[in-house]
Amino acid sequence: MLRIQAAGIAPELRLGIYRNNLQEGFTKTLALEFPVIQRLVGEDYFRQLALRFLAHHPSRSGDLHHIGAPFAAFLRDEFVGTSYEYFAEVAALEWAWQECLAAEDDEALDPKALQAVPPHDYVRLQFALRKAARLLESAFPIMRIWEVNQPGDSGAEIIDLASGPEFVLVHRVAGCARTTRLSAGEFALLSGLARAEPLGAALDAALLCEPRFDLAVSLQRSFTLGVFARVSF
Amino acid sequence: MSGAGIGLRAQHHTEILARRPAVNWFEAHSENYFGAGGAHRAQLARICSHYPLSLHGVGLSIGSTDPLNTDHLRQLKRIVREFEPVLVSEHLSWSSVDGRYLNDLLPLPYTEEALRHTAARIGDVQDALGRQILVENISSYLKFECAELTEWEFLTALVRESGCAILLDINNLYVNSMNHGFDARSYLHGIPTAAVREFHLAGHTLTHCGNRDIRIDTHSTHVGSEVWQLYGVALQHFGPRPTLIEWDADIPALCVLQAEAAKADAMIEAFRAIAA
Repeated sequence: MLRIQAAGIAPELRLGIYRNNLQEGFTKTLALEFPVIQRLVGEDYFRQLALRFLAHHPSRSGDLHHIGAPFAAFLRDEFVGTSYEYFAEVAALEWAWQECLAAEDDEALDPKALQAVPPHDYVRLQFALRKAARLLESAFPIMRIWEVNQPGDSGAEIIDLASGPEFVLVHRVAGCARTTRLSAGEFALLSGLARAEPLGAALDAALLCEPRFDLAVSLQRSFTLGVFARVSF
Repeated sequence: MSGAGIGLRAQHHTEILARRPAVNWFEAHSENYFGAGGAHRAQLARICSHYPLSLHGVGLSIGSTDPLNTDHLRQLKRIVREFEPVLVSEHLSWSSVDGRYLNDLLPLPYTEEALRHTAARIGDVQDALGRQILVENISSYLKFECAELTEWEFLTALVRESGCAILLDINNLYVNSMNHGFDARSYLHGIPTAAVREFHLAGHTLTHCGNRDIRIDTHSTHVGSEVWQLYGVALQHFGPRPTLIEWDADIPALCVLQAEAAKADAMIEAFRAIAA
């Protein structure tokens, strides 16, 4: 075992400098990736959470950006059975935001691509979503919570945690991440397509949770949002 | 690529592209551009079309006894190929054990065994990248009792064994000379001149540990006067080299970094005028 020279400062104190660097670096990076969680719990408690998270999920990469990947799951375990179960779901939204910022570049599908498809073949169409797109659903109003905790918002609004569910698309437009609210039907449609289901099956799922779901309107919105990357059948 | 350069920070990307400031070159942290896509990578590509680039890594953990992280190396290789930097550098340090990363720079024990191990690792990295890398001296807050070599003897032998070059961080050298009680000039005279390809200049913080003064390499403030003085000595000894103003925390406005770079450029010009 290697021994550390004292040379006027006890080895334990010297190691303390490195321990402090580790904790500071980890906590600071986590706060940059989950600013809404930090705002919800406050800086002091966030630091405690970060250090507990560090103990359970230390960095496994030379690239610090990855440390946030297991944070939502960690919060789920920490707050299960409490009135703070929504933390995990807000964290999942924040992590989706981070993933979208760094995801591979690809081009948005031009709606003209559908012009060549005969209408009777629409049910067989399969759509691939953009790499920088994530879909989230929550029983909690996670997008409203996220919105009122952005910089510049006072965060004073009291949100009724029972005012969910919410369905959210997180995606990247011109280099910037965005959150967009979806209807239950839109979420069901896009989730089905993301699972490589053909349009017919995805539409059935959408109609089940939203009987008045309008496919044409929804598809047009999806194209406008630039959600699709490819179509095939 | 010559003269003083500035560390490239994401918060300055937009301003750099809009204003196109008179900066000689930029140095970017490699890991910040490992993401597969997105705005930062696109902005770096545009910045590279106007300025020479140096890529500086902090996470490769060269000295670790873990196997080299092939995923990390693959990502580094990809950005080296894409952005074609003039210089690629990493640190003489280790930062991982059993796959757990400390995301900090820890000093190696300066022993023959560590030397052989580290030289072989640098060889592997240079083979994988297909080019020479620069290895930077780090600030350290501990030394090991088993040390057989001084830091500068270790670095010199490393250059000989691996064919790497040296990125000499004048601030880290100053911090170590004060923290570990050696003459910085011994270090300057103890490393091969031709191997030194770049200088770093940065700020540090004087603080306490126990009841002793200690200097911590915070890289979060102006370059201190003693470091400027040591830089002057280094210029005299090695001659001019590309010199980076490194500021990694509490990042100021770009013009503040430019002002620091201007000081370094003035010293390089003065050296050239006298040496001519």
